[in-house]
Amino acid sequence: MDATLRKRLIGIFSDGFLVLYFLFALFPIVWMVLVSLKSTDELFTTQFIFTPTLDNYQAILFGDARASAGVIARQEFPRNFMNSFIVSSGAVIVSLLVGVPAAYALARYNFKGKENLAFTFLSFRFAPELVVIIPLSLIYRQLGLYDSYFGIIWVYQLVTLPLLIWVLRSYFEDISPDIEQAAMIDGYPWHRIFIQILLPLVRPGLAAAALLAFVFAWNNFIFPLVLGASNVQTVTVSALGYISSAQAFFNRMAAAAVISSLPQMLLALSIQRYLIRGLSFGAVKG
Amino acid sequence: MAELRLEHIYKTYKGGVEAVKDLNLTIQDGEFLALLGPSGCGKTSTLRMIVGLESITRGDLFIGGRRMNELEPSDRNTALAFESYALYPPLTVFENIAFCLRARKIEPSQVKQRVTEVARILDIEDILGKRPVELGGGQKQRISLARALVRDPDVFLMDEPLSHLDAAQRAHMRVELKRLHAQTRRTTVLVTHDQLEAVAMAERVAVMNLGVLQQVGTFDEIYNHPVNEFVAGFIGEPPMNFLPCEPVSEGGELGLRATDGSFTLRLPSQRAQQLAKQNLKQVKLGVRPVDMLATSQAGDDRIAGRVYTYESLGEEGQLAARVGGHEVLIVTPPEDHFEPEQPVWLGVRPDRLHLFHGETGAAI
Repeated sequence: MDATLRKRLIGIFSDGFLVLYFLFALFPIVWMVLVSLKSTDELFTTQFIFTPTLDNYQAILFGDARASAGVIARQEFPRNFMNSFIVSSGAVIVSLLVGVPAAYALARYNFKGKENLAFTFLSFRFAPELVVIIPLSLIYRQLGLYDSYFGIIWVYQLVTLPLLIWVLRSYFEDISPDIEQAAMIDGYPWHRIFIQILLPLVRPGLAAAALLAFVFAWNNFIFPLVLGASNVQTVTVSALGYISSAQAFFNRMAAAAVISSLPQMLLALSIQRYLIRGLSFGAVKG
Repeated sequence: MAELRLEHIYKTYKGGVEAVKDLNLTIQDGEFLALLGPSGCGKTSTLRMIVGLESITRGDLFIGGRRMNELEPSDRNTALAFESYALYPPLTVFENIAFCLRARKIEPSQVKQRVTEVARILDIEDILGKRPVELGGGQKQRISLARALVRDPDVFLMDEPLSHLDAAQRAHMRVELKRLHAQTRRTTVLVTHDQLEAVAMAERVAVMNLGVLQQVGTFDEIYNHPVNEFVAGFIGEPPMNFLPCEPVSEGGELGLRATDGSFTLRLPSQRAQQLAKQNLKQVKLGVRPVDMLATSQAGDDRIAGRVYTYESLGEEGQLAARVGGHEVLIVTPPEDHFEPEQPVWLGVRPDRLHLFHGETGAAI
């Protein structure tokens, strides 16, 4: 009886802790949503009871009739949102096309400088972006990549590719080469073995890595800020536009942030199943 | 079904490792042969060359009289049951077995018929709808065998098929595999390091060591007439005792004296004559533990020793005795008991002793 009581107490405490952590983790999101529903007058008051308004959402999505000087008058948020979507998903697609074969090769074949190559991919991720941004910007201007979708998608590979390669590599390493050889003896060409046998096995890793890569790309700020202008401006960069010398529209910024974070939340929820399994590296069993 | 013939096969890996050297072996149509050897002896390399997963460095491989060297694995009509089973985890058991038939674009109705038939032979009809992850080792093993059999291969190859099973399942599968072979009479090659497996299933055994084929024959031939010291020591459990000796002449008859002087032994006249012809300085005397007896009485032609350890195993006892500087193992009847440090006298069955060349290890 003593043991069951203790077990129950431990259960209550751990549940309580989880609830606390849940509140702690969700607080910024709740705060952001609250701010996005406030009018400009209520913004800086400590009053917790206020009349919610959708004005901010209307303003960023459909334009602001009362636009004041210095604040972006023509509402560009929908366009920026599309830009973010295009460059992020473009970057993930390119990373998938390049990263999956690269991860496979790093997992399966022995070649000279293999580990160095793998490390180089990884180093893209931990080298600070600020280190490369100035030379990159000069190169981009010379090559004509400045302020183009292609340019941003390309530079985003620094963010998305290493993640995909390293997660998928460990997945491929976990698959016994025997399976591929068995399929070879069974008379399948390599591409069909890959699609029918290997791809289903790495799918959890693929989904998790692709999602994280998408989130990282979506959140990236410095690359589109320096290497892009009005053509490819993403939501992260455009958020700056709500602050001007005259006035700071934190409520609109919050509204923009709420909408901008929706795709990530929806994506994460829809593939949550994969996300948990996918990041516990090497969950493949035959 | 077909005859499998390997002629002067060599396999040299990158970096110059010679895995297989000048291998000549013919496996008759319908025969069950075991490739037996310690790990790293080249048996798996040989198997992979037959299947086509490994290129043949030199030599010729024939299946049913056709040269196979350059053919893709899928064109050789061989089947391999992998040590790791290598089942396809995303597919159901049925689809695992049907996989190779699908590649050949065989009609669905016929696929179903053939899969069901093989499943019946291997007694896995009730798990066809499951996925490999849900199954135990014995079932996976059967699926891997079913997958190999369903395509009706000319040559059926198995790579350590029982090594991941527990003892009871292993004993059961040994019987099953043998029955399977009796039913289908397929040319079969089994790769194993376990002599019990080889003996239990195969009609002939090929012993390999360090990439070189040592001896091919029925188990009786190999057990009773090993061609060299390696085969003699590798086959048989517990392993053969080896004692370095030198031939000595005693009253006109040729006998053996231990190199360290611990004993002398008379040889049967036939063996003495064989030895005399070779005119050697050094030989090795080989005696299996089952061909020796241990008593506490001294006697003619017995070797004096001292008990080192004794284990009673129920049906038999195992006695380790020290003779000079060497340890000798003897299988003793269950009623005998020995104490450590007790002096013992060891008898050798004169018709069961083996003599090996002192340097080359070849049998005399």
